Amino acid sequence: MCFKVTPDFEALREADWIAGAAHGVETRYVRRILNCFDESALEMALRLSDTLAGRGVTMGLDALSVGGGEAEPYLKTLYALGYERAARVRSEASLDFAPAVTASIIASYVRQVDHSDLVVLGCRSGPGDSGTVPFLVAEKLGWPCLTQVIEVEPLTDDRVRVACMVDDGLLRVTLRLPCVLAVGNAVVSRLRVPTLTDRLARRHKRIDVFSGADLGVDIARELRREPCVLAGLEAIHRARQGVIIGGETPREKARVLFDSHLKSILEKL
Amino acid sequence: MRSAAILDGTIGAATQQAQALGGFLREGLVGDLVGETLVFYHDECDKKRLVELAPTRAVRLIKTTARRPERMVEILTAVARSEGISLFLFAGGPAGTELATRLAYRTSGAVLTDALSIEVGPERLLCRKNVYSNHMVGRFELSARPWCVSIDACWKDGGSPTSLAHHILSGTDETGRIGTTPFEDLELVDPPSTGDLAESRFLVVAGYGAGNREGVERIAEAARRMGAAFGVSRPVAMNAWALMDRLIGVSGTRAAPALCIVVGASGAPALYWGIEKAAFIVAVDPDEQAPIVRNADAALLDDGVAIVEELAEIIAAEVLR
Amino acid sequence: MHLSREAIVEGLQRILEPENVITDEQVLRESSIDRYRLFEDIHGVYTQPIPAAVAMARSAQQVAEVLSFANEHGINVVPRTGHTATEGGLETAVADSIVLDGSGMNQILEIDTYNMQATCQCGVPLQVLEDRLREQGVTTGHSPQSKPLAQMGGLVATRSIGQFSTLYGGIEDMVVGLEAVFPDGTVTRIKNVPRRAAGPDIRHVVIGNEGALCYITEVTVKLFPYLPQNNIFLGYTLDNMKTGFEVLREVMVNGYKPSVARVYDPADAAFHFSHFAEEDECVLLFMAEGPAGIAKATAKGVEAIVARHPECRKVDSKFIATWFDDLNWGPDKIAQEREEIKQTGNICRTTEISAAWGSINDIYENAVRRIVDEIPDITMAGGHSSHSYINGTNMYFVYFYNVRDCEPEEEVTKYHVPINGIICGETLRFGGSIVHHHGMGKARTPWIKDEYQSSYYILETLKSAFDPHGIMNKGTIIPK
Repeated sequence: MCFKVTPDFEALREADWIAGAAHGVETRYVRRILNCFDESALEMALRLSDTLAGRGVTMGLDALSVGGGEAEPYLKTLYALGYERAARVRSEASLDFAPAVTASIIASYVRQVDHSDLVVLGCRSGPGDSGTVPFLVAEKLGWPCLTQVIEVEPLTDDRVRVACMVDDGLLRVTLRLPCVLAVGNAVVSRLRVPTLTDRLARRHKRIDVFSGADLGVDIARELRREPCVLAGLEAIHRARQGVIIGGETPREKARVLFDSHLKSILEKL
Repeated sequence: MRSAAILDGTIGAATQQAQALGGFLREGLVGDLVGETLVFYHDECDKKRLVELAPTRAVRLIKTTARRPERMVEILTAVARSEGISLFLFAGGPAGTELATRLAYRTSGAVLTDALSIEVGPERLLCRKNVYSNHMVGRFELSARPWCVSIDACWKDGGSPTSLAHHILSGTDETGRIGTTPFEDLELVDPPSTGDLAESRFLVVAGYGAGNREGVERIAEAARRMGAAFGVSRPVAMNAWALMDRLIGVSGTRAAPALCIVVGASGAPALYWGIEKAAFIVAVDPDEQAPIVRNADAALLDDGVAIVEELAEIIAAEVLR
Repeated sequence: MHLSREAIVEGLQRILEPENVITDEQVLRESSIDRYRLFEDIHGVYTQPIPAAVAMARSAQQVAEVLSFANEHGINVVPRTGHTATEGGLETAVADSIVLDGSGMNQILEIDTYNMQATCQCGVPLQVLEDRLREQGVTTGHSPQSKPLAQMGGLVATRSIGQFSTLYGGIEDMVVGLEAVFPDGTVTRIKNVPRRAAGPDIRHVVIGNEGALCYITEVTVKLFPYLPQNNIFLGYTLDNMKTGFEVLREVMVNGYKPSVARVYDPADAAFHFSHFAEEDECVLLFMAEGPAGIAKATAKGVEAIVARHPECRKVDSKFIATWFDDLNWGPDKIAQEREEIKQTGNICRTTEISAAWGSINDIYENAVRRIVDEIPDITMAGGHSSHSYINGTNMYFVYFYNVRDCEPEEEVTKYHVPINGIICGETLRFGGSIVHHHGMGKARTPWIKDEYQSSYYILETLKSAFDPHGIMNKGTIIPK
């Protein structure tokens, strides 16, 4: 299970969204949260494991985050929740707008360290919100991938039954492992909470920290070869106008409102 | 420079794709391109209709099997290699994201998803898309070709596709080399409904200023005549002037309509949160100081019931016909 | 003597317009509780007696008539405005109660920036009043976390306190005058004067009565200049709470009044400050505000005091400023919280107490240790101090637990009551108060006699004098 810890963008003030050079917005001062889709993925994995345990099958859960120390509290929590392995891959450079590099790292980790046959992650995450990492991981591993997954159930040893949102509805499909699942707006959206007793019991478990080099990924070189590059940021102006509509009678005012503003909006609906 | 828009007829949302692509090609794209549409279809599709929907005059028809994205990627990769197309354009959505990403990877091109607009340069493609959870717009430069771009969902609200005189360049049948699929037992169902309020595109909200149950009912009726969904603020629901399932805001529904008219509600945080994602907000309230007035796009300082009833008449006559 | 539900409704409909007497099933269910029974509410379980009606009063006169009616027939009345109470104070503890709701009395009556007073009806949300005041360059100085939703009547009835209390005081320091209606229908008005010594301060009979003595219909509060441009934030990390309390004490004893002075223990700090505090670190933070000279001098004074404790490491003020901006309980946080509780079965509860400087650390350490040792399924136990005085401070215990192996309606008795028992027990042992600012409600009444001891005589005599028929919010403050 791959997850990303991001700044809580909703906790930034209006004034902090400063458009500037391509190095991004200052988010150092806000608290960190789990990407919401990744959170769903982490909990769905636990439920998958619970279901299998009920059938007498053990499913090992490994967690990976591409990031720095901000992921550590979450990795510790995942150990407390019963994850077998919790690791992170550090990078000197920011990989915020580098989905191809992130995918490289994940794929290398899976091939060399993890050897899982099911990779689950959120369908997209900020700040880039590209939604491409799951498919890039799938391409590198040569595995099928489904996105906007909202439900997963284990079927047999090598098959899962998945529900996912597609362009024209809800698709239920059986998928053979190995595969990549990218979680979307799942109903299951919150990670369960470990007790203090659980935390104490797993306090000794080590969090593995890898560098790109450990996994055979030259991060700096791959960043230079990234074909899609952030060139700048623009603010979005959302302040509402508060235009007062004039008129003598309700009928007049309604007429002015309709002609000046509503007609064009309604025609598009 | 050549471009290709992909119209995926193997999934059921062809009209929306065509509208989005058409709108984007007309208004979201700056640059000199010779365009064509690649129309994918399978046996059960209405081929003629798909061609009519195509957003460019030039059309290539490609027959394939339903719901086999990996097959479509293979076909597109071959097209990319043989035809020298610089830009592939996909409608936004899960399918478009997958195709754009995989195609870019296989051809060593560049991918950008959910584009708001693009500008074609001789060497680079300049793209704009929402980043930071829609708090900012990012400008991106794509260098390696082919550029594989999927377009943002906001283009789905574009107008109806204009009718063109289409010209079919080629038609191929790719159903022969299908191979095995990792997907089994496919079952397509209607997506679970989250209720008329959450999904509403046009919403009227009545607040405490409606005065009494009768006022609320008159506003509800006007909403119905306008073809709008109807919600209420918490004081109205707690007064039992309307049912609790109409509640907008805290412990009720959060809506994101294109148009929201708030009648007789001061716009205190509890309610406003439920509608703040609306694209256009109209406030009807006699109090110029009410927070809703400055947090709306347009405001009418008048009695809410009379205004919405007049508005309902106009809309019923001139829009809904 | 006892009227049927229908007769109660009819009686109310003769006093109020019929549309202001609400008998909708779901509204009545939700009106039988407050946040104390949040877990039940989220699961759609309502164990308290369902009220006969919610009566929306529009004037003090209507409040008087409803109370007289209830008084005559012995009907329990629960006064309510913003519905954000957390201690069960709004629970309809007896069958067929009337919930008397004043949220419709929502007019700001006067803003007087010369005499620095604002008057409003009981149903004005504090956020609405504050927004209006700030436009004119003034503020109430009152900023509880419930600000977006809480209303003036309830804020006074519960002796609420806000985030900037170390400078501005609690609501009791802000109220100038008020209007309150008593069970026999008497409408009383206490006029607005800066101070008087014309007998005991009778405002304090009303402030904090939690609807057990009277119904507050109008409030006048002091105004202060609004000078956010002078705000200075200070933040530090350190490795133990004892030093943290010591620093707070020194700041107060040396005569400084930062508007905010807090120390968070590691467990509580982990929720808020993990982006700059290590796992086992406490966080100490201050905000100085007011006229520029005072804000600067306060900040300087605080910094000098902290510097005397080398184990405190300074952090970038921007961390504190950013955190402060996102603190209040708006509708999105409340909606998110409901979702989280429903999905994870994990719920957060709080209990706030106060004590002298010499006792607070012992109370904190003992209570947290005992909670962790004695209560099952605890996922977090800790807290912070956020309101300091020259002679002591508060401790806001924060604790989370997974609700396991019990029905929704058993959550309170399985977890919350025993935890309150531990916290209140330790507090009483060291001579502190079992309630700092959330109100006694019904949740902590088991300990009220220990809290008051011999002075309970004053409290129960007030109750029997003003509410001889026992119709005002039965079970709140005075146990049933």
